[in-house]
Amino acid sequence: MTTPLIGVSKSILKIKELISHVANTCLNVLITGETGVGKEVVAQNLYEESIRSSQNFVKINCAALPETLLESELFGYEKGAFTGAHRKRHGKFKTADKGVLFLDEIGDMPMALQSKMLHVLQSGEFSPLGSDQDFKTDAWVIAATNHNLEERIAAKKFREDLFYRLNIIKIDIPPLRNRTEDIPALVEYYSRIYQTEFGMDQVEKPNTEVMEKLCAYTWPGNIRQLQNCIKKQMVLNSWDKIFAELFSENLTLHNSPASDIPAHPPLANGTSPNATLEEGALIAEFVDLSTSSEKLFEDISLKKIKKMASDRVEREVIIFVLKKVGWNRSKAAKILKISYKTLLYKMTEFKIQPPVK
Amino acid sequence: MTDPVRILVVDDNEDILSTFYEFFSSMGYTVKTAVDGFVALKLLRDKANSFDALITDLVMPNISGVGLISIVKKEYPDIKIIAITGYGDKPGALASEAEADMVLFKPIDLFKIEAKVAELLNLESRT
Ligand SMILES: Nc1ncnc2c1ncn2[C@@H]1O[C@H](COP(=O)(O)OP(=O)(O)OP(=O)(O)O)[C@@H](O)[C@H]1O
Ligand SMILES: [Mg+2]
Repeated sequence: MTTPLIGVSKSILKIKELISHVANTCLNVLITGETGVGKEVVAQNLYEESIRSSQNFVKINCAALPETLLESELFGYEKGAFTGAHRKRHGKFKTADKGVLFLDEIGDMPMALQSKMLHVLQSGEFSPLGSDQDFKTDAWVIAATNHNLEERIAAKKFREDLFYRLNIIKIDIPPLRNRTEDIPALVEYYSRIYQTEFGMDQVEKPNTEVMEKLCAYTWPGNIRQLQNCIKKQMVLNSWDKIFAELFSENLTLHNSPASDIPAHPPLANGTSPNATLEEGALIAEFVDLSTSSEKLFEDISLKKIKKMASDRVEREVIIFVLKKVGWNRSKAAKILKISYKTLLYKMTEFKIQPPVK
Repeated sequence: MTDPVRILVVDDNEDILSTFYEFFSSMGYTVKTAVDGFVALKLLRDKANSFDALITDLVMPNISGVGLISIVKKEYPDIKIIAITGYGDKPGALASEAEADMVLFKPIDLFKIEAKVAELLNLESRT
């Protein structure tokens, strides 16, 4: 069932009006906005209000699949098009014919595929992998992204011509913090839904003070995050606890003074345990800060550092638990809430060995 | 005297809009303006209005000029369309594809645009 677009703010009302004016034009639509603002809800509402609502709504996430798989998902393939293609398979363009093709996370589509996509949008024709035949498509293309595509274009990560092709109708959904008038309506709507879902009796409405706090919060995860809070409230029945969590997360994320960070365990390589946590010290444990900034910027990769940091913590925790249980690995796995196999794998990966007796 | 020609001018730059408004009004046209394609579409769908020509910018929020042109071509085929673009030829090509009657590139002087409107509507240019 399609989620209705709940909200009373000017921007939501305008979006609803825009949807009703363009739902039957079949012009390409680009929906933008932060994560959790409701891009998919808008796409579904466009479909629901259009004459295509009796046809398929086909969604594909362009960020979730590797390039070749994404390509075969979109266009389909012929038998024998590649190893493993034992029989012909239809692509999403075909399934979405006369209906809607929702290209989610289009900003993450690989460049090579962007060119192919552009070609399909220009010609209205596509050709499955391993086929020399062109097929007509009449899919209404609705795309969404939480990237700023103008920035991606400047960074040569997104094709400008594809952008103009998609951006015929542009629906930008503002973040929840910029339309707090919508919060009471959303809280009421989702409280009622979860109440039924969880089979609960009447739940108390948040009082004015609670509502004020809900409206004061920044909601980086937007409506999805608000939904989670409402769900939690159903279980905990304590807005205080929820706010304590929300606002403390906010603090550590945005304005925590360095002294609030708990002292870090010293490194194995003999860093002084009393070293004060000056700016960059923690980072220095993962990248060499003494090099030129050019080289440094090349070395810094959030993904890599995250992996290194989490590996280090995981290793510490695993050794800690193993010591506690006298290196009994199945006990340790239970405590760590991972499978025995995973533990063995991690012990090998992190080179963890029991002390030789 | 014939009825005044009714035109709709669409641009997200308010200065440009008022310049167009002043100019075409002074030339004897009846002019309405809109800051984007969505506002324009609502004016078009309002039964109280009717237009002979549309002059539209291309890159605009909500409904772009390209979108507006496609909708007008389909729903109001009698309205003559002039697209004006300042962003190189990418959206310009899209505008021709959407079958604007004419695509002009910025900067362009107002007298020239007026002459084109008159030409499209088979009028004597008023200059
Ligand atoms: N205006 C709204 N009214 C009711 N529910 C909403 C609204 N906006 C969002 N939601 C709900 O919030 C959740 C997140 O919305 P959605 O999945 O559409 O976000 P999104 O913008 O696609 O996020 P992402 O970028 O993370 O994919 C969904 O469960 C959706 O039903
Ligand atoms: Mg989404």
